[in-house]
Amino acid sequence: MDRALEQGASLSEARAADVSLRGLEKRYGATRALAGVSLDVAPGEFFTLLGPSGCGKTTSLRAVAGFVAPDAGDVLIRGARVNAVPPHRRHVGLVFQSYALFPHRTVRQNVAFGLRMQRTARVEIERLVADALALVQLPGHGERYPRELSGGEQQRVALARALVTRPAVLLLDEPLGALDKKLRDHMKIELKRLQRDVGVTTIYVTHDQEEALTMSDRLAVMRAGHIEQVGAPREIYETPGTVFVAGFIGNTNLLAGRSRGGAAVECAGVTIATAASAPAAGAPVTIAVRPERIRLDDTGRLDNEVAATVAHVVYQGETVRYLLAADGGLELQAVELGRVRFPAGSRVRAGWAAADARVLLS
Amino acid sequence: MRARARLLLLLPFTALLGVFFAAPLLLMVAISVSRQSFGELQWTFTLHHYARFFSDAYYIGVLWDTLVLGAIVTVASLLLGYPLAYHLARTRSRWKPFLLVAVLSPLLVGIVIRCYGWMILLADRGLINATLVERGWLAKPLPLMYNRFGVAVALVHVFLPFMVLSLTGVLKRIDPHALEAAMTLGASPRRAFLEVTLPLSLPGILAGSLLVFSLAISSFVVPVLLGGFKVQVLPMIVYEQVLSVFDWPFGAANAFVLLVISIALIAVYIRVTERALRGIV
Repeated sequence: MDRALEQGASLSEARAADVSLRGLEKRYGATRALAGVSLDVAPGEFFTLLGPSGCGKTTSLRAVAGFVAPDAGDVLIRGARVNAVPPHRRHVGLVFQSYALFPHRTVRQNVAFGLRMQRTARVEIERLVADALALVQLPGHGERYPRELSGGEQQRVALARALVTRPAVLLLDEPLGALDKKLRDHMKIELKRLQRDVGVTTIYVTHDQEEALTMSDRLAVMRAGHIEQVGAPREIYETPGTVFVAGFIGNTNLLAGRSRGGAAVECAGVTIATAASAPAAGAPVTIAVRPERIRLDDTGRLDNEVAATVAHVVYQGETVRYLLAADGGLELQAVELGRVRFPAGSRVRAGWAAADARVLLS
Repeated sequence: MRARARLLLLLPFTALLGVFFAAPLLLMVAISVSRQSFGELQWTFTLHHYARFFSDAYYIGVLWDTLVLGAIVTVASLLLGYPLAYHLARTRSRWKPFLLVAVLSPLLVGIVIRCYGWMILLADRGLINATLVERGWLAKPLPLMYNRFGVAVALVHVFLPFMVLSLTGVLKRIDPHALEAAMTLGASPRRAFLEVTLPLSLPGILAGSLLVFSLAISSFVVPVLLGGFKVQVLPMIVYEQVLSVFDWPFGAANAFVLLVISIALIAVYIRVTERALRGIV
């Protein structure tokens, strides 16, 4: 980052960087933590790495920070290969689930740490720290010690500390994981607002699909050291590319069957009309249908309809989830808003549009 | 009621401590200010023995030597123990239990046996010197024993576990992510250590140092065996006065001086750690 920008500009004016991973590989003994991870994060983008534990998302993040040296592949920040650059010269901001504040330092000293390392002038430090604390809505907390703050406040201090040096990239490793649900929901919005205001390129690691969907500009779903799919939240949710993605994001009906050619698949004796044309007849495929796309006793014409018995009703407050046993053996889930329309044991017609049935290769 | 019942649990140990620790200690203080004539103690109050101690350059010299020995042993244990403790606190190796036993091993060997072991190594005709001289690398043996060096080596050996365990406990509680956070904020690994790990491990450094120092200045057997009476320390004076000269009051005064130093150190320790701990815990 050039000197003038570093000194003069306020937080929001920092020039955002782009980040690229090219074919990253990392092995720990017999485990392949990264098996060829490639992705490009645009300047100012909020990019999420989503996946179950052990999928390589944190390893990828740590490779960007410089704490993991890849066995193969490159990490690029602003187009420059940084593989050989040690963490303290990469100019990234990192926020952990554990906050990792310095417990022996006050909030002000915590936030000032990075500026002090950059040998920023004292007056300038005072001003930037005050700005950063105001940005995370903690003005006047400077003289407190981390242990005197709540979890949410500590997390905001960690954010201020990471942002105050105007890093090229902000790396967030499950930052909301240690907060309770209510605070997490609040911080999700707060964090996103902050990221947009500051305009810093952000890579966010989480296993929580809801966080990923609500906050990201784009996200990558990872599994076993590789990327399954990259896309905008809606794209990932509505048009999952693989069975894993369909199953990991949200609740999905996954129906195993065989292609009948054209846009039809046979599942447990039922022929289902699908969105796109299925592969060659006879190929094993999986159909993914979102539970909220399944209509029960709908009056309109639907491309697919099966008769079913309500096996179980799960009342969830604002939504009701029905577990259905369709005639022929298919098991389906349907979700509706509002009251319970069908008690367990009722006979219903479950239907859905062909456009809502995604064909995935098994 | 329950709280009072729980206090009962403290009773056996308190009684033990009272009878066998506090009472003798108080007796010792009383003896140190009493007079003795022809082997008979007279229960008066006099500071004569303390005055004698602090006006005699010999005893002041011994006190000084004792403190210097304590300092040397403490610093050496800290320098040797810190890296070891750091490794123990961070490692996930399956050899960790073995390493821990190895660290504790000096405590598993009796003190006399341990000292004779060091003698075999350090004596003029011991393993080290014999090897060096026989190979012709040295004309005459190095002075490894019957001096402060030999005593210090043997003391560091046995007190190192106290230092390592004090440090390991504290280092383990430091979030490794704090160190990484410091690095991403622009601190080199060395700087990050100085700014984060070192200050956070200060309570462990102080606790370990205090333990080792107190133990070192009150050690008796090791200075006798490896110092060969060429290294004089305060506990030896106490022993001499009480068991050879039979001057109980002066011996008690010596012992009390040693005790006061330890207590003063503990007070300083508590003060300093309280300040160091302000942000922590």
